[in-house]
Amino acid sequence: MSNLEILTLLELAEGSPKDRARQRAGVVAAATGSLVRWLGVIGQRSLLLLLFLALWETAPRLGLIDVTFLPPFSEVLAAGWQLAQSGELYDHVGASLLRALSGFLIAIALFVPLGVLTGWYVGLGNLLSQIIEIARNTAPLALLPVFILLLGIGELSKVTMVVYSCAWPLLLNTIAAVRQVDPLLVKSARTMGATPSQLFRKVILPASLPTIFVGIRLASASAMLVLVASEMVGAKSGLGYLIINSQYSFLIPQMYFGILGITVIGLTFNAILEALERRLMRWKAPAG
Amino acid sequence: MTTAKIRFEHVRKDFLVRSKDGGPAQRFTALDDITLDVRTGEFLALVGPSGCGKSTLLDLLGGLTTPSSGRILLDGKVIEGPARDRGIVFQQYALFPWRTAAQNIEFGLDIAGLKARERRARALHYLDLVGLSGFADRYPHELSGGMKQRVAIARSLAYDPEVLLMDEPFAALDAQTRETLQGELLRIWRRTGKTILFITHSIDEAVVLGQRVAVMTSRPGRIKQVIDIPDELHSETEDVRSLPGFGHVRHEVWSLLRDEVLKAQGFPAAASDGERLAKAKELAHV
Repeated sequence: MSNLEILTLLELAEGSPKDRARQRAGVVAAATGSLVRWLGVIGQRSLLLLLFLALWETAPRLGLIDVTFLPPFSEVLAAGWQLAQSGELYDHVGASLLRALSGFLIAIALFVPLGVLTGWYVGLGNLLSQIIEIARNTAPLALLPVFILLLGIGELSKVTMVVYSCAWPLLLNTIAAVRQVDPLLVKSARTMGATPSQLFRKVILPASLPTIFVGIRLASASAMLVLVASEMVGAKSGLGYLIINSQYSFLIPQMYFGILGITVIGLTFNAILEALERRLMRWKAPAG
Repeated sequence: MTTAKIRFEHVRKDFLVRSKDGGPAQRFTALDDITLDVRTGEFLALVGPSGCGKSTLLDLLGGLTTPSSGRILLDGKVIEGPARDRGIVFQQYALFPWRTAAQNIEFGLDIAGLKARERRARALHYLDLVGLSGFADRYPHELSGGMKQRVAIARSLAYDPEVLLMDEPFAALDAQTRETLQGELLRIWRRTGKTILFITHSIDEAVVLGQRVAVMTSRPGRIKQVIDIPDELHSETEDVRSLPGFGHVRHEVWSLLRDEVLKAQGFPAAASDGERLAKAKELAHV
């Protein structure tokens, strides 16, 4: 039964005016109960995280671990606060976000259409498959020196790195998505007189979207990984630079804060993509 | 002379099959010398053993492939490629999972270039015709098998084709749903007056639905015989399966099919009659 139907049923059930008061009391009790349950669920899900943070805070303070190498969690946050107040934090986060997002979006704009064409035209697929196989098995980080040699240590080499690392998950998943489209759906659309371009827009693309999205999620993870590494090697800004520079200058709390920053950006990226995916693919049967 | 809506004239379809050991490709004849008329407004059931080329026949009619020789005429014109004058209903529904029931019905109208408002109105009309008025905004995964097939039938009817081609549409449904939908289909057929070519492997279904039943041979597929079904077996009020005439016609079709089923299963010709009969009964799900 859908939520809407349950709601309607509830409305019907509550319709009789006789014992409204008792019902209201019941509703309050139910609300309190559900709040407690909700807190319980949050507690259960976050239990390990809370334990981890507590351990992080207390272990250095109790002398179980050297404070210089692992400062307590609160000191890391304090260092982050200082970074935020000096405005330095925004510069680094801004630089990293700009590189990651532009590389990620450029890669989507280039490689999703290329993947669709490669999946659709068998000839193009045969032509490209060997190159794709070689390129995707060449770890992007191994190519970092090459990009720096050819493109310098400026923005261009970093964005190119991100584009390169996003390319393969996007391309492979898009090709697979187009090839996996149920031939029966294509047949059905053809018997209804769909032209090749209608077939493409109204069948191939929507049918491929879920698998293309798998590629997009993989690409976003890959983008962050490669970005941080390339910022560590040659950059004057960005979270990767912040982390490595803090380590060199022995500003250890600041280094940990940089790492947390990357985690938060990664989680945010993923949450945005998940929300978008849910919105675009409401038609899918819930998994499981 | 009655007018033929669909006319098969000596239709033959060959496929080239590559042999396993990499030798030269061999010719495999799926359909041979099919000659058959489907009259305007007629409900013709086509029954045959599995592998008799029923689906090839449908692909030819749908315009998805072309005959190796002979020709297929619709209203006297040779079929050239797929078009909306023929609606096809597939066994596996073939609904677009990202479209709601109503949007699925709108698909053909969308292809035809109808405006959104008219599309929607027609979709709702045909949803109503198949008894799914309240389900316009449900996605296929929210519908049962029977409901999906109703949507698929509505989708094929919505663009008002000349003929409806149905490829074992009820084979994947449970027995009760199947009988209900058979009744519904007859009702829709009477109401819309469409010409229907209905492919099935079930003798019962062929006899219950068809005004005529064409029995096919296996490998290569030929039309063995066309049987007229008496009108009394298409009563809207009676349980036709319990009429004595039903058993009689059913047996006639079954006898025609028996040898074909055996041949399709590669049963040795040397076996005794008793064995052959037992095997045939088993295979024909009697």
